[in-house]
Amino acid sequence: MIRRDTLMAWPMIGFMLLFFISPLLLLLGISLRGADGGWGFGNFAAFLSDPFSRGVLTGTLALGAKVTFFVSLAALPLVMLYWHGGPRLRGLILICTLLPMLTANVVRTFAWVVILGRNGPISQSMLALGLTDRPFSLLFSEMGLIMALVQIELPLLLLPVFAVLNRADRRTLEAAETLGAGPWRAWFSAIFPQIIPAVLAGWVLVFASATTSYVTQSVIGGARLIYLPQYVYREVGVLFQWPMAAAISILLLASTGIIMLGLTMLARHERLQGHG
Amino acid sequence: MTLNLSRRAFTLAGLSTLAAPALIRPAFAQGANVVAATFPGSWEDAYRTLLTPMVQQAGFGLTVAPALAQDQIARLMASPGQPPYDALLVSPGQSDILIQNDLIEPIDPSRLKNWDKLTPAAQSEYGPHVTIEVNGIAYNPQVVDKPAGYKALFEDPQYEYNVALIGFGSNTATMAYTEINKIYGGTYENMQPVFDLLEAYLPKVGAIATSGSNQMTMYQQGEIAVFMASTGNVAKLRELGMPCEFAHPESGSPSVPVTIHLVKGAANPDGVYAYMDAAISAAAQTRLAEAPTAMIPTNTDVPYSAVVSEFVTPEQVANAVYPDWQAINAHRAEWTETFDRLVVR
Repeated sequence: MIRRDTLMAWPMIGFMLLFFISPLLLLLGISLRGADGGWGFGNFAAFLSDPFSRGVLTGTLALGAKVTFFVSLAALPLVMLYWHGGPRLRGLILICTLLPMLTANVVRTFAWVVILGRNGPISQSMLALGLTDRPFSLLFSEMGLIMALVQIELPLLLLPVFAVLNRADRRTLEAAETLGAGPWRAWFSAIFPQIIPAVLAGWVLVFASATTSYVTQSVIGGARLIYLPQYVYREVGVLFQWPMAAAISILLLASTGIIMLGLTMLARHERLQGHG
Repeated sequence: MTLNLSRRAFTLAGLSTLAAPALIRPAFAQGANVVAATFPGSWEDAYRTLLTPMVQQAGFGLTVAPALAQDQIARLMASPGQPPYDALLVSPGQSDILIQNDLIEPIDPSRLKNWDKLTPAAQSEYGPHVTIEVNGIAYNPQVVDKPAGYKALFEDPQYEYNVALIGFGSNTATMAYTEINKIYGGTYENMQPVFDLLEAYLPKVGAIATSGSNQMTMYQQGEIAVFMASTGNVAKLRELGMPCEFAHPESGSPSVPVTIHLVKGAANPDGVYAYMDAAISAAAQTRLAEAPTAMIPTNTDVPYSAVVSEFVTPEQVANAVYPDWQAINAHRAEWTETFDRLVVR
């Protein structure tokens, strides 16, 4: 029997089944089609037995991990500033975090093309400071790609953390300090555990977004840094190998999904929730 | 939380949800509308601005849908029996694939008023050629000298770190690589000479971009100064205020006709004929021959414009290199794989 208080959820569940789950099942079905018209795991086997393809898969996951790490580093000072700031500073930080999200990812990516180019501000200021003897370009390099992705994905980590900080109990900090902890220790022992679930949720978002960011990967990374989304596009749009493209998509979904599931389970762990 | 929802309210809400799709009128249901795929950028702008009123005069609406040639095929293959486009705009490389996969159909020339105005070479069984795209080398004259040809790009030190390359997904790049391969002794059956050359050149390459438009972005940003391009690319960069010149390769300029095809099972074939007729009319081609599109006309009543004449003469077009697309398509997947594995770090 359907509970009355879940009635409103059913149209959305139906919508998800129709437009999310069924295309995924279709994708899975296509991925199992072989070149000879038969069915099986041949496409998966072909992909995973090829060292080049495996390198693309691990490179994509490594990119996600690197971006998540550097986003965390970049977010730390902003989180501290937000925590210690008054309402005006908090508002300003929030606006600065949200503002880039109001522009499309494509626009932000092309802004990074200008910034990372040999005539861009990074190269030119290094030249002016005498730190380099000729202009240089960070385009088509992994460093440039990570820099762009860190800025683009940063709000995905900051926003959930800010949301938790807004309702974090400051009295726990005072209690820690009263018990003799220094400011850093008090913050990490009293406040940090409260934001860990938000940090993990942010990592899930950053990781998923960085590994699937086709536009940024292709425009900033170029053709010499190939990641799974470009690989899928090539199979679909250039080689017309749809079953292989579907298999690669399933592998991308599964590999990022496993990592995201792990992080989500970690976020729900009793001790991280502060119940341990 | 418990929701107090009456049976009547729930039924109403459910019916409304079910009825919603019927209220959204799908584009393909509009019988008088033609959905025509065109290349993004200057093609899309020009076709939308210029051809829409002409097609409307013939009694049809025109929706210009931007998509690269390979994407047009991919989308068509993705919707068997329900094509997303009525008309396509592609080059011979894609035309062969479309014919092999039974995705386009031969046209009836008697339904095109301007058919007889076309050059004989532009009268193709599967649709009219609307222009000839001449390819060669785009270069920045403020950075490098005019290249004598493809060979100079790989052998003259002044081009080192200035040349951009792209993969075999691009028609322009594919034609350039097959020509370079011939210069270095290769054939369609043996592309190893060009792959050896590219491998040796990689440390000195300016950039390996992901698409033609990506190359143009890099050119605008001063990242590169040379790339394989069509005359249309050069005209577009000039329009944007960039110093850009066109050089013909020593082995002749690889050229491709660009064709409008009628999609098999198109919702509005009559509209497609009106669209084809507009695209090959003297009025449209005269305008399209001007900057920024600078398209080479295929209508014999249209003379080469000043901007087109800066790039090519009718004699050069007549003597251009027309690659063997059947041979290219037979190997393209394998070349794409080889190129990608060669360049990935």
